[in-house]
Amino acid sequence: MSVKINNLSFKYDKRLPELTLRDINLEIQDSSINVLLGLNGCGKTTLLKLLAGLEKPLVGSIYYGDSDLSNLTIKQRSKVFAYVPQHSYIVGDILVYDYLLFGTTNTLAFYKTPGEKEMEKVQLIAERLGITYLLDKKIGQVSGGERQIVFIACALVQESSIILLDEPTSALDIKNQNKVLSTLKEISKEGKTIILSSHNPNHALFLDSNVVLMNKGIISETGVAKDLITVDKLTSIYGDHVCYSDELGYREISFK
Amino acid sequence: MEKKLNRRFIIALIITIVLFFVFFITALMLGRYPIKIDDFFKAVFTNDETVEVQRSIIGRLRLPRTIMAAMVGIGLSLSGLLYQETFKNKLVSPDLLGVSAGASTGAAIAIVLGLSSLFISVFAFISGVITVCVTLLIAKLFKNGSSTTLLLSGVIVGGLMSSILSFIKYFADPQTTLASITYWLMGSFEGATMNQAYILVGVIGICSVALIVLSFRIYLVSLGRQAAQTKGINYIFYRYLIIGIATLLTAISVCFCGTVSWIGLVIPHIVRLLVGHNTKRTIPLAITIGGSFMVITDVISRSFVDSEIPLSAVTGLFGTIIFVIILFVRRRDIYERQD
Repeated sequence: MSVKINNLSFKYDKRLPELTLRDINLEIQDSSINVLLGLNGCGKTTLLKLLAGLEKPLVGSIYYGDSDLSNLTIKQRSKVFAYVPQHSYIVGDILVYDYLLFGTTNTLAFYKTPGEKEMEKVQLIAERLGITYLLDKKIGQVSGGERQIVFIACALVQESSIILLDEPTSALDIKNQNKVLSTLKEISKEGKTIILSSHNPNHALFLDSNVVLMNKGIISETGVAKDLITVDKLTSIYGDHVCYSDELGYREISFK
Repeated sequence: MEKKLNRRFIIALIITIVLFFVFFITALMLGRYPIKIDDFFKAVFTNDETVEVQRSIIGRLRLPRTIMAAMVGIGLSLSGLLYQETFKNKLVSPDLLGVSAGASTGAAIAIVLGLSSLFISVFAFISGVITVCVTLLIAKLFKNGSSTTLLLSGVIVGGLMSSILSFIKYFADPQTTLASITYWLMGSFEGATMNQAYILVGVIGICSVALIVLSFRIYLVSLGRQAAQTKGINYIFYRYLIIGIATLLTAISVCFCGTVSWIGLVIPHIVRLLVGHNTKRTIPLAITIGGSFMVITDVISRSFVDSEIPLSAVTGLFGTIIFVIILFVRRRDIYERQD
């Protein structure tokens, strides 16, 4: 099912005149990868938080298929969206295994704790993403790249249709960026819808994704990566420092 | 690690359950009038009239206060653990939202009015609960919803209650009421009755079962609103539910025995250092270790001198020593918060 955002506006402080997001209209197709691009403060994180249900729209609505998301309970909403925040507050002492089990919460009655079935699910997904060697480690002991894969694994355990990721590759080296993005590509092929924010336009090209260009709280343009990731379009967002190279046989965006 | 922690938890749980019963039975034998082990079993399991005095000491004096000590230890340890997990702050204790300060003020008012010990407990309980309600109300007025606002409201209301208490103490008769207030504030199980023990067993027993059932969700709530809500639980509801249970546990504990410091702060740390952060493991261990610790404290407070040593003096002394030892032994497992 697709996600449809209709005339959505939002601001954090109702006393301030300026809106953080203004008149957002967007349709996200099922099983697609969508990259939100834009400057710091343009509203990428806010849009993801609104989708995850962590903030409520000032006006406008978000639909998943025929259901208005504002009518869903927190549990029902968690079956639609899994959210991987940019800075996840995690006590370093928590085991990766315990953290992945949290992904099963929305399938459990309030008085139940994860049992054999849930443990099996965690084990299967850990095997699929190649992180079984991390299960017994504390989150404080794993590297930044591994931690992102753990968070993505937790989103998969949650079995929601759409995974929201706020700058999943920030603070990662190139190898780990590749690992995280390749994992997302694979997951998308299996039918999951991915919406992520990024500061690197090359990521959208790598993922061959849809792109949502955002600027000062509005969506300035949407389209597929190969059409939108051009010097002209990006210059309008990032300024005239953007340049373009295809010396390596593929398009790469850089800066002068 | 998971298997290692689970194994360690099961071993620790079995050992602490056995120790709890050993301490409990030993507490019934020890005191200013020690009872020999054969007399103890005769008094408990036979109708032998030669041990009537021992039977009376055990049944009327030591059993109610030992049950109460165990329950108060459990109540304060659990409530400290809940507050520390919910507020993501390992330095908070059960009196965080002003419940102890409120209960103390309520008890002091009842003492000044010359009411009976039953009414002192009732006043302490109601005043403790009302204080937390006022704290929550003030936090609500700020329309901010953050844990910091709630913590600050607790500091404000707790401070106000302590100030009222100071006024009451200042105007109280130094010969009679002031001494009673001061003694109540330091904590004691003197005057414990079976009826009080039944109330504590009922309330703390039900709360403990509820917490064990909810342990997985409490663990998730400890990760904060963002993580809890996006994984499908109503963070606000569970946070207030946990605060409500923690307040009830603290208020019911301090209303019968006065304020007891340290235990609610130290026991959760000891438990976490032994079996990690998972509330599935920490809640049951807080019950067994907290109960045992308080039973030992009570025995010490009533066995060595003619008049009773206040509970807070004993918990402070032993809490510090045990805490330093465990912290030293497990120093490599202590992690800073990762943001």
